[in-house]
Amino acid sequence: MRRFPLLTTTLLCSALALAQARAQVASHSERIPGMGNDSAQDASSASKFTAPPPGNPQAPGVNAANLPDISEIDPATIPAMVPQQSANPGHDDWAAYGHDDNQDRFSPLTQLTPENVGGLKRAFVYHTGSKPGPGQANKWAAETTPIKVGNALYMCSATNDIMRIDAATGEEKWRFKAGVQYHSIPYTAACKGVVFYTSSTVPEGQHCHDRIVESTLDMRLIAVDAQDGKACESFGTGGQVNLMQGMGESVPGFVSMTSPPPIVNGVVVINQEVLDGQRRWAPSGVIRGYDAESGKFAWAWDVNNPDDHHQPEPGKFYSRGTPNSWATMTGDNELGLVYVPTGNSAADYYSALRSDKENAVSSSIVAIDVKTGSPRWVFQTVHKDVWDYDLGSQPTKLDYKAADGTVIPALLVPTKRGQTFVLDRRTGKPVPDYPVEEKPAPSPGVVPNDPRSPTQPWSVAFPRLGFPPLKESDMWGMSPIDQLFCRIKYRRAAYVGEFTPPHVDRPWIEYPGYNGGSDWGSMAYDPASGIVIANWNNTPMYDQLVTRKQADKLGLMSIDDPNYNPSGGGAEGNGAMSDTPYGIVVTPFWDQYTHMMCNKPPYGMIEAIDIHTHKVLWQKPLGTARANGPWGLPTFLPLNIGTPNNGGPIVTAGGLVFVAAATDNLIRAIDVKTGKVVWSDVLPGGGQATPMTYMVDGKQYLAIMAGGHHFMMTPVSDELVVYALPGKTG
Amino acid sequence: MSVGVQTGRVGLVGAILLGGLITLFGLIFVVGGANLAALGGSFYYVICGLVLLASGILLLLRRALGAALYLLAWIGTLAWTVYEVGFDWWGWLPRLFGPTILAVLVALCLPALRRYETFRSTTAGPVSGPDRRAV
Repeated sequence: MRRFPLLTTTLLCSALALAQARAQVASHSERIPGMGNDSAQDASSASKFTAPPPGNPQAPGVNAANLPDISEIDPATIPAMVPQQSANPGHDDWAAYGHDDNQDRFSPLTQLTPENVGGLKRAFVYHTGSKPGPGQANKWAAETTPIKVGNALYMCSATNDIMRIDAATGEEKWRFKAGVQYHSIPYTAACKGVVFYTSSTVPEGQHCHDRIVESTLDMRLIAVDAQDGKACESFGTGGQVNLMQGMGESVPGFVSMTSPPPIVNGVVVINQEVLDGQRRWAPSGVIRGYDAESGKFAWAWDVNNPDDHHQPEPGKFYSRGTPNSWATMTGDNELGLVYVPTGNSAADYYSALRSDKENAVSSSIVAIDVKTGSPRWVFQTVHKDVWDYDLGSQPTKLDYKAADGTVIPALLVPTKRGQTFVLDRRTGKPVPDYPVEEKPAPSPGVVPNDPRSPTQPWSVAFPRLGFPPLKESDMWGMSPIDQLFCRIKYRRAAYVGEFTPPHVDRPWIEYPGYNGGSDWGSMAYDPASGIVIANWNNTPMYDQLVTRKQADKLGLMSIDDPNYNPSGGGAEGNGAMSDTPYGIVVTPFWDQYTHMMCNKPPYGMIEAIDIHTHKVLWQKPLGTARANGPWGLPTFLPLNIGTPNNGGPIVTAGGLVFVAAATDNLIRAIDVKTGKVVWSDVLPGGGQATPMTYMVDGKQYLAIMAGGHHFMMTPVSDELVVYALPGKTG
Repeated sequence: MSVGVQTGRVGLVGAILLGGLITLFGLIFVVGGANLAALGGSFYYVICGLVLLASGILLLLRRALGAALYLLAWIGTLAWTVYEVGFDWWGWLPRLFGPTILAVLVALCLPALRRYETFRSTTAGPVSGPDRRAV
């Protein structure tokens, strides 16, 4: 009954809304399909603050280094790429974010074993120097994994300084100061890693033959020489490229990069994080290719303008609000593809204003041809996603040996849903041993004019990373009273299992939550044994759409609003979702007074899966209660409760899994055969990063960035902690 | 003898304090539990809450029956826990950890309450004793 007046208002105002929407989405082709007839704005959707037209000049500070525009290069003229370190890393190296081009987080090193790992001691600690200063809100979560080539570690600080460190001693050899300003930090100051690139045109021995490439929080692409850390003058403008070119109106922090850009056949591929939950017509999620030699623009893939691969003319911009990709992409030199894990269109929890073209590629793996910028195939993991189930994990390449003996070039795709897809890299189709079924999902939902998909895809043969749907008796607490409180919360909310549609009149439970299943930590895969290592979360969320009026009352503002409070909210929490009829209120499904989750533990798991037999070899809770208790207080209990976790595992030929990730601030070694923790150490900060391992002079090292994570409420530090067995030398 | 009187006094004071606490819990259980039951949830809390209310009030009156009722509620809770979650220990923690601590304290007060009741019945009522002498 209460919906009737809303519907009437919608009808009355749809013409006006339509005109507004058309005016706001004017892009460089002046045409957004699928926009008009399903827009469901009502009179109250007009926020107090009206965003400047997207054609307006960018706010001061958006183009942080005041870099001039970059010119275009015909992708066909990009020189053939010489073999890269990451294609075939030295035995002792960790040459790429995920170890090598397969991004499998597997190291062939065998010195550390379940038998001797207990003797690990700190070899050195390196300080990156990046942490919150006085008066600055804690938005830090470094999430960094160094790479190691030769005798050097290369890494970035949380605010994008690039450093070369002696891999045996921790001595800093050089530092490139990126000069990222505090106001450019988006939701999180993170830098997952840098890329080692060997030039195809600069001869060996000359400056910038070997380069370190990174992309920054303030949207620059930077290339420096690996030997001396000085900018590569022949790249872009003095070694830098302005990635905000063509993005249209924006403010600092709205658009950022936190993942290492892959370089595929000489093309640096750029994706970017667009802050969630701000406004429907946020800056574009466009994917772009740049020449790794010159830094010149090669192509763009703009979802709503798929046939125009050029940069927008001055004053024009890439289509607004399209699905952004913030995860680490994976390149494929052999097939000439980059695998782009996409997220949602802007305004995650309301889909009525999305175009058909956006709906076809959101929360998907999109394989883009690096010579043209056109997708070759798309595999979608969630249809019309309104749960923030964007793909956070980096996909892993592997050779899948099918039952009939054929070897399929495959792609392992973890998701926040805990569904893991195994695709044929050539076609994007599921490999025959891992079929995908479309199963009925709750539809059409309850939000006017915003129907849900009647089906969703399930990877039925891959063990699901998750528990059964929540029941009232799964509610938890310290006492019967907070358990009762959580039971009432459970019963008050709408919940019909996975894909419960968004509600306005009452909360709904989102389970799995948007932290996963699998998030950006991704998976590790041992190609010799076929064992997949996956850590995942079991943290439901409590969501509710609120009308524009309520959103205004709650003070929800988008980042470009003059009254926006930078330390007040974030991408993971409440959002204004301006330009839509609703705002979003999101919290963990917890007792808000004690900050204890409402569902029973464990909240985080780690498991080993045999990819050939489809069997779970072992499954254990990940993370102890030592640093986690009611009101955020430490309990100092070694109880293996299983905590939320962010950061990936690695696996070694020595038979070990190394993983931190959990909120207990421990780094641990696990015997890959049994799942037993065989060593652990307390870190100086939260271990929300993927560790890495390498060898120098016959000694195996283990490195973990203990940068902490503001959203995971773990302590911040600027320390890279490196371990080795004392006295061990070749 | 004086030691016995001392522990008896501690027991009675404890019973009153526990009675207050259990009455409060009973109230929360009845109100929250009714809310939950109305939302289609478990009836355990409203039923248990009524027993706790009775138990708490009787304990405030220093009646041994109050302690017995609490122990009855605890046994019922144990049975309900096994019914709901079996032997999943994480499930036992919220349901039984706190109530068991209370049950131990209530049980410790029981001898004092029983001694007090015996004393009351032999002296024809607790309040009227001194009064009658005054008349």
